[in-house]
Amino acid sequence: MNLLLRSVQIIDKASPWNGQIKDIRVEDNRIAEIGENLSAAGMDVVEGNNCCISPGWLDMRVASRDPGFEHKEDLDSVRQAAMQGGFTEIVLLPNSQPVVDSKDTLNYVRQRRRQSPVCVHVAAAVTKHAAGTDFTEMIDLHTAGAVAFTDGDNPIQHADIFLKTLLYLRPMNALLINRPEDKQLTLFGQMNEGLTSTLLGLKGMPPLAEEMMLTRDLNLLKYILEQTTEPATLPLLHISLVSTARSVELIREAKKQGLPVSCEVAAHQLVYHDEALLTFDTNLKVNPPFRKVADIQALRDGLVDGTIDCVVSDHCPHDEESKNLEFDHAEFGITGLETVFALLTMHSGLSVESIVEKLTSEPRRILRLPALSIAEGQTANFTFFDPAKEWTYTKSASKAINSPFLGKTLKGHVSGVLNQGHIRWFGQPS
Amino acid sequence: MTKLSVRHLLGIKNLTENDIHTILDTASQFKDVINRPIKKVPSLRDITIANVFFENSTRTRLSFELAEKRLSADVVNFSASGSSVKKGETLLDTVNNILAMKVDMIVMRHSSPGAPHYLSGKIPANVVNAGDGTHEHPTQALLDAFSMREKLGDLAGKKIAIIGDILHSRVALSNIFCLQKLGAEVMVCGPTTLIPKYLPEIGVRVSHQVKEALEWCDVANVLRIQLERQQIKYFPSLREYSLYFGITKAMLDNLNREIVLMHPGPINRGVELSSDAADSSHSIILNQVENGVAVRMAVLYLLAQQ
Repeated sequence: MNLLLRSVQIIDKASPWNGQIKDIRVEDNRIAEIGENLSAAGMDVVEGNNCCISPGWLDMRVASRDPGFEHKEDLDSVRQAAMQGGFTEIVLLPNSQPVVDSKDTLNYVRQRRRQSPVCVHVAAAVTKHAAGTDFTEMIDLHTAGAVAFTDGDNPIQHADIFLKTLLYLRPMNALLINRPEDKQLTLFGQMNEGLTSTLLGLKGMPPLAEEMMLTRDLNLLKYILEQTTEPATLPLLHISLVSTARSVELIREAKKQGLPVSCEVAAHQLVYHDEALLTFDTNLKVNPPFRKVADIQALRDGLVDGTIDCVVSDHCPHDEESKNLEFDHAEFGITGLETVFALLTMHSGLSVESIVEKLTSEPRRILRLPALSIAEGQTANFTFFDPAKEWTYTKSASKAINSPFLGKTLKGHVSGVLNQGHIRWFGQPS
Repeated sequence: MTKLSVRHLLGIKNLTENDIHTILDTASQFKDVINRPIKKVPSLRDITIANVFFENSTRTRLSFELAEKRLSADVVNFSASGSSVKKGETLLDTVNNILAMKVDMIVMRHSSPGAPHYLSGKIPANVVNAGDGTHEHPTQALLDAFSMREKLGDLAGKKIAIIGDILHSRVALSNIFCLQKLGAEVMVCGPTTLIPKYLPEIGVRVSHQVKEALEWCDVANVLRIQLERQQIKYFPSLREYSLYFGITKAMLDNLNREIVLMHPGPINRGVELSSDAADSSHSIILNQVENGVAVRMAVLYLLAQQ
């Protein structure tokens, strides 16, 4: 692909042209030249009209539902949604049916690659069927290309399984991802435990269930480091979907002590608190649940001071039959891919430059993927966006519509993506 | 007669103090009606009401049905044990099928908190919540308030203790909302595992000693132990519960003043209430049942005016 990107503003701290409006010439999936008034002879031209360009964004937590629940989402529709959200790379959770716990299922997902700007990575399960008891063949899965290990929606409950996973992954320098939740304390839980859950008659999920498990996970990480001499330079444990102020504080402390840990927050956790559920809106039923205003502030502070490394969509597509129901029968989750950037623009308190870091260099570092930069000779993997643009989220490219943001006017718009020799250009919203 | 501020009776939470007084005042008039030789009025002659019960109920369903019949409404009953989901038909489909037969009002009991709220946003008919899981049971709270008011007059400043399984009780929650709106003070009392941690945040007192609660209150509203709604263990045994949280006539007699004893039924005799307490002069339990019909008539009548 030979392409001239005319008048784009480069947002990339690692680039010598950061903040500048330039033309970019792309040849054979590489950045051939960056400059002003570059010749368009023999090239397709994209008029950027001063929109922003950054290295392509990466979402570390996406449920594709394929194989098994293709009526909710499949590997094609999830790519469409990813593109709309500005993501050129996504990491899929293993919780399909069957679970990605063997090379067979891993290869199914990886072989279903399409001519698309979206590169799909797969996190493989730690235990068979992600059931928390018998290990998967992790070395084999790692060799076959699994980018990380996690039981995804099923947090590891058994302390010894967790400990042995960390130990087993250590020689490969592979990453364990876990969402801390003590399932005994959240049994039958529907929302955050607090006055609101009490007034709604819904069983609560106490913040403690997350914080206790997080404390355990950090202690086990500390314990395995005592057994190995080699210092860890990269995170060995990535904490998914941090949601409480105390969790942020625990991770801040762990990082101060030098523990190789990283963490993420879901973009929607920066928006809602539990009182939003007073209407029993099942599109606000998520796990971890929406907490309190003070927790949202702590999450924002954690993003700003770097305690929270990156932001994910936690894209959980569901069919209408799973959401248009009585609250306690409805499934957990929100489709998030298409709204991450707008939510961060509106609710994170981060600068555009920092938002880009939370979506590019930080998740790449955690996942041990090569760094990207907008500089000559580098891979052409871009996201185009306009942080000031308002748009109304009227239609989802996902098969699912379980988003509380549908119909709302948002600020921060994705204009297109370019990766793997393919471009999708949405331009400006009408 | 004034109108209500709501189209549906989903919970006490959504009512104004004025709404509650309107319902209770209307209920007084209907109580007169049902004590006449001709117990029936033609008020809802053109209205068809479906009692849709997804959970077992004897007294509430009977009470609603009688209230509807006393108002000359046409009545159909639909009962299904277990949730609609388990049957394979969604709640919305079930109710839309009933509404397609030209039904005007839905009285629903359901095991899911918020089910009537969900339904009210999707269908044109008026919805009356006859109990939604562990959330609300508004007509029970209204008939309790009516019965207390009948006995004690204005409830402002009165002290009401709700004793028993507060955690799983929709009656407790609706009572708390209703009594607070009417200016009464509320205490909840029971084993620590059956008291929600967050109630003091809305000004509810908490006690774990039945004796203390009885000495404090003007009215003791005793709740049933909801064993069927406890998905996990909250206390060791009914024997221990009745020994330490059960109320006997001797305990009532030992108080230095008369208090009112209430229970929404059905009573587990010998568990939360001894028989001699339930049948004592303190008890207005059967008055509650009678008033239930009048209060439900008032609710249905007022909603039909909307």
